[in-house]
Amino acid sequence: MTTSTLNITDRMEKQPPAWSRLLDLSDKALAVLLLAPAGLLLSLIIVYPVLRLVYTSFFSLSLTSGLPAEFVGLENYQLMIEDPVFWETTWNTVLITLITVPGALVVGMALALLANLPFRRQWPVRLSLLIPWALPLSFAGLIFAWFFHSEYGVVNDVLARFGIEGVIWFNSPSLAFAAICLTIIWKTSSFMALIILAGLQTIPRSLYEAADVDGAGRVRQFFEITLPLLKPAIVVALIFRTITALQTFDIPFMMTGGGPGTSTATLAMYIHQNTVSFLDLGYGSALAVVMFALSMCVTVIYLRIIRTKE
Amino acid sequence: MASVSLRKLEKSYGALRIVKGIDLEIQDGEFVVFVGPSGCGKSTTLRMIAGLETISDGEIRIGERAVNKLAPRERDIAMVFQDYALYPHKTVRENMGFSLKVRGVSMKDAESRITEAAEMLGIGHLLDRRPGQLSGGQRQRVAMGRAIVRRPQVFLFDEPLSNLDAKLRGQVRTEIKRLHQQIGTTIIYVTHDQVEAMTLADRIVILRGGDIEQVGTPDEVYNHPQSVFVGGFVGSPAMNFAKAKVQDGALAFANGDRIPLSALAAGKQRVEDGREVIVGIRPEHFVTLADPVMTLTAKVQVVEPLGSDTLVHFSIGGETLTARMPPEMRPEVGADLHLGLDPTKVHLFDAATERVIA
Repeated sequence: MTTSTLNITDRMEKQPPAWSRLLDLSDKALAVLLLAPAGLLLSLIIVYPVLRLVYTSFFSLSLTSGLPAEFVGLENYQLMIEDPVFWETTWNTVLITLITVPGALVVGMALALLANLPFRRQWPVRLSLLIPWALPLSFAGLIFAWFFHSEYGVVNDVLARFGIEGVIWFNSPSLAFAAICLTIIWKTSSFMALIILAGLQTIPRSLYEAADVDGAGRVRQFFEITLPLLKPAIVVALIFRTITALQTFDIPFMMTGGGPGTSTATLAMYIHQNTVSFLDLGYGSALAVVMFALSMCVTVIYLRIIRTKE
Repeated sequence: MASVSLRKLEKSYGALRIVKGIDLEIQDGEFVVFVGPSGCGKSTTLRMIAGLETISDGEIRIGERAVNKLAPRERDIAMVFQDYALYPHKTVRENMGFSLKVRGVSMKDAESRITEAAEMLGIGHLLDRRPGQLSGGQRQRVAMGRAIVRRPQVFLFDEPLSNLDAKLRGQVRTEIKRLHQQIGTTIIYVTHDQVEAMTLADRIVILRGGDIEQVGTPDEVYNHPQSVFVGGFVGSPAMNFAKAKVQDGALAFANGDRIPLSALAAGKQRVEDGREVIVGIRPEHFVTLADPVMTLTAKVQVVEPLGSDTLVHFSIGGETLTARMPPEMRPEVGADLHLGLDPTKVHLFDAATERVIA
């Protein structure tokens, strides 16, 4: 009885679906057929635009010149190397990434630990975490532009209450840069906090109880249990945050417009300027290819780190 | 090693009293098992002893020290958790050595303790693996190893076998018993499984609704249950219960069968006429002697041959009872069965209070 049941089950498992038998498809052909819609969609919305971008970067294509597109090979890339604004905006982008990603991680971790405390009412804490994340980037930029306003801003007002003279934040490259970084950290730390909070909630309480019995205090528990077990969540958060940091645009655009001069302009803003303001699609594409390569490098590095840990 | 005293121990969540003033003395080196159904307060009591739950009232002493206000790490206890609570990112060696590292034990000493415990538990070859690479039984042993290396005054086990399959549970149960015989440390063990309680314990504490129902050796709680609850909880198949009334010096059952009080064990013979009682009979105390002292007449409902025994389910006056019979006995379903009974093994409980009539 059991054997015959098993045989029937076995036969049933090996049989392809009826409609597949009708079309007389092999397993491999069936797999290709089922994956084709997703593959086609991905090709249309990701692969084609990227390939087109790379293709365009080899052309001189300025819509303001009225001239037809001309193949120039690597000339756009050569121009880029000699372009001081490219280096300045790239450096600003890297600096923003280096400051705001760890900054958001530290603040996000603190917020997540706070939100993970056993509050009687959890929703106000979770909601306050969600609000900065849900706010559009350009709104955050506008709000903080007002916060740092030299005359009406709340920051100078608070400084004045402590007897510190207010400053004109957006006149100084370093102060403007600091204001932008603070805004980005405020805006993005809640995203970090949400991912870390999700990670925190997967750590069983019994591990902390075992550590309590084993003799570990709260600080030791954090470094010996919480942090190692949060690594996967932290790496995921870092990948997302680093990639978006490399694409920073909205907040500096709304707060300083890249000024004073180009001291707070980012690579994304420079790409925008070249393609949208100057309509130089060839050079803009070359810049975008560099940004794409940077993002890819970061992703590959993080994925390597994850694989090594595994 | 140390004794453990619980004095008027209470735990409440608001108006809800989970543990209702437990008094218990656990001797140095004793293996005590807390057993009871879900929600009886056994795990809460254990967690209060560990310091993982605050106590609402009363006192806990480990050895000579009152530990009410001490953190778990200061109580010199080790605990094996239901889900083992092994650190997933650490190797077995690191798991076992964590408490020693925290307490500043030298690496050499820690390594020798880990090796000794690992050999005792047969997990020496697993020391460099992580918990995710181990089977349930191996994880269980690592959890015990982590507790052993500490050399604490008291071991606490919180339903440590409940995640294992039946066969493995039996094996690990034997290992825990052997472990206690080897190291002799006081053990407090929580389970809902009466078989674990009977096989492991020096003394069993049966809890019900946050109160101790009975404390005694496995023999005492099995042979002299103090209440219907204990009689029904300890033993498998469970003790049979049938309502009866004392009439003219005999127990009168609903089906008309009678057992003279004079045939019962001493102490149960002077129950006043008219008293409603619950008669408790263990399945194995039905006998098939050629000429039994007492007989009950019953209709066979179900027969379950187990190989080693045959369980016969029958009804007396609307109550379903079970008898454990020799394996060769296979009565017909629906037939009338004349079951012999050893009247000295009959338990009598008051029908109103459900407490034993001594």
